[in-house]
Amino acid sequence: MFKRLILEDSSTLYVITAFVTAATVFVSITWRAVRMPRAQIEKFAQLPFAPDSTLPHHDPHA
Amino acid sequence: MPDKKITIEYNDRVVRQFLLATVIWGLVGMLVGVLIAAQLNFWQLNFATPWLTWGRIRPLHTNAVIFAFVGNMMFAGVYYSTQRLVKARLASDFLSSLHFWGWQLIIVAAAITLPLGYTRGKEYAELIWPINIAVVLIWVVFAVNFFWTLARRREPALYVALWFYIATIVTVAMLYIVNHLSIPTGLLHSYPVFSGVQDALVQWWYGHNAVAFFLTTPILGIMYYFLPKAAERPVYSYRLSVVHFWSLVFVYIWAGPHHLLNTALPGWLQNLGMTFSLMLWAPSWGGMLNGLLTLRGAWHKLRTDPVLKFFAAAVTFYGMATFEGPLLSIKSVNALAHYTDWIIGHVHAGTLGWNGFMAAGMIYWLLPRLWNKPLYSTALANLHFWIGTVGILLYVAAMWTSGITQGLMLNATTEHGTVLAYPNFLDTLNTIRPMMLMRVIGGGLYLAGWVVLAYNFYRTVRGAQPVNGTIEVYEEAPAPAGSRLSLGATFFGAPTVFAVLAVGFATMWMLGSDLVSTAGLAGAVACLIACVALLPSRGGAWTGWYEKLLLNALPFTLLTFFAVVAGGLIQIIPTMIVQQAQNVEDRIQVPYTPLELAGRDLYVREGCYLCHSQMIRTLVPDILRYGDYSRLGESIYDHPFQWGSKRNGPDLARVGGKYPNIWHLRHLENPRAISPGSNMPTYPWLLANDLDVSVLPSKIKVQRMLGVPYGPLSAQQIFDQVDDQAKGIAKDLRAAGAYIAPEKEVVALIAYLQTLGKSVPVPPKTNPTP
Repeated sequence: MFKRLILEDSSTLYVITAFVTAATVFVSITWRAVRMPRAQIEKFAQLPFAPDSTLPHHDPHA
Repeated sequence: MPDKKITIEYNDRVVRQFLLATVIWGLVGMLVGVLIAAQLNFWQLNFATPWLTWGRIRPLHTNAVIFAFVGNMMFAGVYYSTQRLVKARLASDFLSSLHFWGWQLIIVAAAITLPLGYTRGKEYAELIWPINIAVVLIWVVFAVNFFWTLARRREPALYVALWFYIATIVTVAMLYIVNHLSIPTGLLHSYPVFSGVQDALVQWWYGHNAVAFFLTTPILGIMYYFLPKAAERPVYSYRLSVVHFWSLVFVYIWAGPHHLLNTALPGWLQNLGMTFSLMLWAPSWGGMLNGLLTLRGAWHKLRTDPVLKFFAAAVTFYGMATFEGPLLSIKSVNALAHYTDWIIGHVHAGTLGWNGFMAAGMIYWLLPRLWNKPLYSTALANLHFWIGTVGILLYVAAMWTSGITQGLMLNATTEHGTVLAYPNFLDTLNTIRPMMLMRVIGGGLYLAGWVVLAYNFYRTVRGAQPVNGTIEVYEEAPAPAGSRLSLGATFFGAPTVFAVLAVGFATMWMLGSDLVSTAGLAGAVACLIACVALLPSRGGAWTGWYEKLLLNALPFTLLTFFAVVAGGLIQIIPTMIVQQAQNVEDRIQVPYTPLELAGRDLYVREGCYLCHSQMIRTLVPDILRYGDYSRLGESIYDHPFQWGSKRNGPDLARVGGKYPNIWHLRHLENPRAISPGSNMPTYPWLLANDLDVSVLPSKIKVQRMLGVPYGPLSAQQIFDQVDDQAKGIAKDLRAAGAYIAPEKEVVALIAYLQTLGKSVPVPPKTNPTP
């Protein structure tokens, strides 16, 4: 089978299998993402907005 | 004392350093870009000087903009956002400094060696092996600093930007190491371990994913952090960002073969590359829409805020380039577009529009925060935006027009497809000259915009006091109960086990012999049934496993790594097996003589492969123009492969014997004497420099180690062979009226050019009678 696969034209099977594998990953992740709890989503989405803008310190090395 | 608060001061010094380096190297890279664009119109700008010649400084441009400009921008963005997302200072000030200075040293080394002609001869992987080692070491420093910081984080959740950074670090390391595997022949030269189609596949697996994981994923992470910050609203859909990440990481790695469509690459790999490239439409556009929709309710701010202008335009260009990429990966479209300026337009829509504008937006956003002073001039930033945008549009429109014109003219036939409509390559070149000039103007405008940014940067920071951000956090970060995911649970958890078994069985099914194949099919089906059967009872636990994965950096990193490794191995391993001498059919390459090998190294040194392909595609116009299509076995001993990716000049795969030696000599001395209107540089130094034959024994020894069937040759035998062949060519030249000493470099290069396309037939295999 291996020899036939690489040396002859049986690419369809290979490409279809790769496509199905990738599509499975895509669907699984989408399913998982859609089912994420709203509270968790909001928590993640707010992470860049943590209060980090306190008074800055002058860089002593500059 | 978990309730005791402490103040953390971020290491923003290294962010400032990388930001400054971004501006400087951006200027250098873009300036060289404008110069090489102008050289294609005005050959005189090569100045007949080796270190200013197109073939040597084009790699300087690509390396400068990718690794110096975008690299420094990426490090600035990653370090700034990571510290804030994990609420921790970078783990090590020493590693941060080492990372910065080490990277700058690498860039300087590249800027010196590339114009001097020290190159590996592979696009975006030209740097010589000592610099490759330095790159790997500094990348490890970056990785250690980043993951160490993650390990010390006070925020357990990993924001999606960090996922993109993790994928970048592990994947770039893998790609870089594999594509740079070489055996040195001396301090400044090496041969890649791969050859021919193997080398082509590995190179474009790397080249494509350098775009994916160096120019895209880290910048997407930067988008997911800085765009919400600038718009002052969270990302439109965090769910979509999760889908964006996993699908992009999983799919991107498979798409590399789309750079080799209609070539000697096995057909199944071409189909694989095309299929996965088309699949990239979904995640890429998902990401683009997520970015643009984050601006909902904030569009009015674009009128006044240059940062948002740059981000909105950058994300739009990302969408445009990622629509165009899959389109170009369709084999029939690729037949028109490949080797033409259309690809150059596509690449620059991505780099100038996506990378350059994301960099500009990030710089304008960071400047006031890192120097605690308002931006010197918002008006200048707006001016930069409009100059840059007009520049990109001119550039891209010119290259689309030029590329499609090239493709149509070079592929045009008459007499029912039996005769080329434009047999002279120069007809095409002279037709696209106005578009090439427009490219120079567009690129010049974009560079002018960057100069405006540099001035704005300088005026903003002049006299300002650099500042570091701070944050108050609890001294001991409370870890959520039960959030740990051990390595055992990571790899032996049901989701991982099922995934590995499914892939394993599928591989057995595809690659095994009859019995193994049947077992693989049965196993794959059993896996699927077991998953479905267990889902109702175990689904909750599997969900919990995934939730924990999002809080545990090491298991997350390892699984991401395995996802990208799988895509690479499945393409590369079969190709390594197929390209073995015993598997080659039809024709096989004859190993180069020592003089031809020396000539080939000169061909690589001068960057000839950047304008001349050595791959006649399986397309009628290619065959009519250049001869019989290239076979896989005809480059089996080429370390590195020289298939090329662009035809600024004609293909050379079968140029050997097509013209007499004197033709090549006159052509290299002054191309316009032979081909009026040509834009090829002159190479007077090849006629003046003596060939360095002393390195040949070492080079042939390495070639032999790599599997090229050279017989046992002593150093003296090698020198004698060089001498004999060179004298023969010099004698022939003298008979044609040119006196060239046999020891000159040009003689070796002519010897190489005259052997291109020479092969021996492989007798058909006979199957043994059972």
